[in-house]
Amino acid sequence: MTDHDISHRSGSGPGEVISAVAAHLPILELRGLEKQYLGTHALKPADLAFKAGEIHAIVGENGAGKSTLIKLLTGVIPRTSGDIFWRGEPVALSTPLEAIQHGINAVHQEVVLCPHLSVAANIFLGEERRRFGLLQHRHMVREAQKILDDLGFALPAHALLSDLTIGQQQLIATARAATRGARFLIFDEPTAYLTREEAAQLFALIRRLQQSGVTIVYISHRMEEVFELANRVSILRDGRLVGTRNINETNENELISLMINRSIEQIYHKDQYAFGKTILETRNLSGNGFEDISISVREGEIVGLYGLIGAGRSEFVTTIFGRHPKSSGAIFWDGKEVKIERERDAIKLGIALAPESRRDQGLCLSLPVSLNLNLPIYKQLSQNLLISHRDESSHADRQIADLRIKTASRNASAASLSGGNQQKIVIGKWLNHGAKLFIFDEPTVGVDVGTKAEIYRLFSTLLANGAGIILISSYLPEVYELADTLHVFRRGQLVASHPHKSVTHEDILTQALGSAAADPATRN
Amino acid sequence: MSLETKETGTTPKRRFNVLFGLTLFALLAVLWCILGFWTESFMTGNNISNLLRQGSMIAILAIGQTFVIITGGIDLSVGAIVGFTSVIVAWLLANGFPLWAAILITLAIGVCIGLFHGFGIVRLGLPPFIITLATLTSLRGIGLLITNGATISIDNDPFTEFSRNDFIGIPNLFWMVIAVGIPAYIFLHHSRWGRYLFSVGSNAEASRLSGVNVKGTIYLAYTLSAVCASFVGLLLASRIGIGNATQAEGWELQAIASSVIGGTSLFGAVGSIHGPLLGAFILATINNGANLLNVNSFWQRVITGVLIIVIVYFDQLRRRRR
Repeated sequence: MTDHDISHRSGSGPGEVISAVAAHLPILELRGLEKQYLGTHALKPADLAFKAGEIHAIVGENGAGKSTLIKLLTGVIPRTSGDIFWRGEPVALSTPLEAIQHGINAVHQEVVLCPHLSVAANIFLGEERRRFGLLQHRHMVREAQKILDDLGFALPAHALLSDLTIGQQQLIATARAATRGARFLIFDEPTAYLTREEAAQLFALIRRLQQSGVTIVYISHRMEEVFELANRVSILRDGRLVGTRNINETNENELISLMINRSIEQIYHKDQYAFGKTILETRNLSGNGFEDISISVREGEIVGLYGLIGAGRSEFVTTIFGRHPKSSGAIFWDGKEVKIERERDAIKLGIALAPESRRDQGLCLSLPVSLNLNLPIYKQLSQNLLISHRDESSHADRQIADLRIKTASRNASAASLSGGNQQKIVIGKWLNHGAKLFIFDEPTVGVDVGTKAEIYRLFSTLLANGAGIILISSYLPEVYELADTLHVFRRGQLVASHPHKSVTHEDILTQALGSAAADPATRN
Repeated sequence: MSLETKETGTTPKRRFNVLFGLTLFALLAVLWCILGFWTESFMTGNNISNLLRQGSMIAILAIGQTFVIITGGIDLSVGAIVGFTSVIVAWLLANGFPLWAAILITLAIGVCIGLFHGFGIVRLGLPPFIITLATLTSLRGIGLLITNGATISIDNDPFTEFSRNDFIGIPNLFWMVIAVGIPAYIFLHHSRWGRYLFSVGSNAEASRLSGVNVKGTIYLAYTLSAVCASFVGLLLASRIGIGNATQAEGWELQAIASSVIGGTSLFGAVGSIHGPLLGAFILATINNGANLLNVNSFWQRVITGVLIIVIVYFDQLRRRRR
């Protein structure tokens, strides 16, 4: 019923779908597709055929040309040369509308829907059901609910989109594309902000779409997802398509070495340092979203906080940083109780925070790289009342060189940089500051493997200089490999603490999910 | 991605940009040339002095306004502050306060109004549009209450002569633009507070988490705007020799228009000092020229509106291409 429903909406007959799946003909073929910007070769001539009904993963570092490829396929930017064949016919794909009319859709990492409208209104946005020119609200809600039920989402169609979690919104965006006759659906890192459960739901939906004949292109940094979902995988490096593999004929190591063209003996670089004295300690700290948390961080130590999104980890660290008030408990710095009432108090003590969202909390995107890097230290850069422009430039240049931030110049806007390089700015702005405790909240979300490795090496440098680190991650291997002490959060509470690698992944997952949700953990 | 913006060195785009950087200044120069050829009276010392006087007060308002707009806000109250402070200074002088005290008290009242705006935005959480709209109407009301609707005339000769006099051939009022403009430029581009104005306008949360005093920055922006406005109130009172709360009607819109013509973005985080100054004098030139050409004053308003659209549209075009 569901499959029929989806394919029926697709605008092409079911028979066509079946024959295409059976024949495994290329549904979309690129021949010598190329994109040049002024002076840069964003995509070097690429030949690639997508088979109808396959899940085709595309992996590559940031800046490797993945987003360029998506933009070309969805008609957002024009190509420089080469041909695109859709079901054997050459197509122009010069506008997004043309791509959508062919059935090519993309679901983006960040949800682009209207938060103030209902789920139903979002699903039908642009294709509202009308009678005599008036909206048929009830009809649309009913129909939307049916779609959601069919897809197995326990979500109310009349709810406001903004009342849903980001993960649920992502599911709605996918459902929306699925109902619009998508024959070719591109997912751009869809799980970056999803919980495990939501990701599982999304995967189920993707498989379902595949069964109904939709071709899926899946872009992700997470290797285990690629291996779980994809039939084939293509690797991009520096704008060049370096290869396509059947998923059962390759492995993680091969993909990574193709992606970065150097063997990384270990991504999770970790040096062990002797722990010094305790830098920060919280005693029974409570606040909005977390309760009764007691942890401590020593010099040379990485303290990992693992849990699902919404487990209270971010709220906990932003409270330490003075962004939100605590309701009870105490914070000790260097053994003395301190009052941190606002961010500046925390910064003065020597706490640095690289927040969760680069876009919302980390960067002034419209402003130059230099200003972003110097924002916390303008006081030090000022003599009398005026800024020393020479110091401002040299500080920025030093961070750009040290962290190898790829930018046209220090005056380029932060928005013009790729995700990994933006993250380097968020971290880099604290390195001139002389902080003693660094808090990293999801530092590697949307960051490529190469940059990840650089960030982990940076951790070592900080530890060597006697700093302590609090690392928040929803990606278990990351905290598992890196943290000297791993704390597991669940629903605002600290449920377990483990020394480095003392228990298995499964144990930690079970603790993070809690008994009620233990099933999905044991299934793996 | 980052490389895209790099190599534009020899392309037509670049030339387009350079041209556009000078456009505002060129536009002003062209306007002056055209009017100089077309009318006999434009290029006379008298008229130029008059034009500089007309443009100066809006120019100073536009500088203050620009600080606020860079933070992503708006200050609708500046015209009302001008009228209100002209009443205050006239009342103080009429009640025997010495001139220096009257000036200081008037400026201090400007500070208070700005702090109140900051309080409303930061503490009460009101949108800048609302809080400054509220002070716009209430300040006019309070000014009328003080005078009971009447006008207070000022008979302090040194004060009233100031706005009419020149210094080395240039009107004192224009010197005041320079006196405000240079410190404003240094403040915006060479002090950390200037940087903070931009960062708050671009992303207040990121600024806050970087240790920027966001609330203080907002207080500062609105205070500077209100002080600029009360300073203009003093200049206006000096120029027309009276205090009247209904003066300077609509000047807030002219100040905003000057700022936007000068390249300030109403979305925040984009702006300069020289832009709004040029914007103010372009508007003044258009009005002055239209008067000399005997254009119906109703048409003047229409022309001003059309010009705002055209200039800002081309400016947007330039930004998009960059």
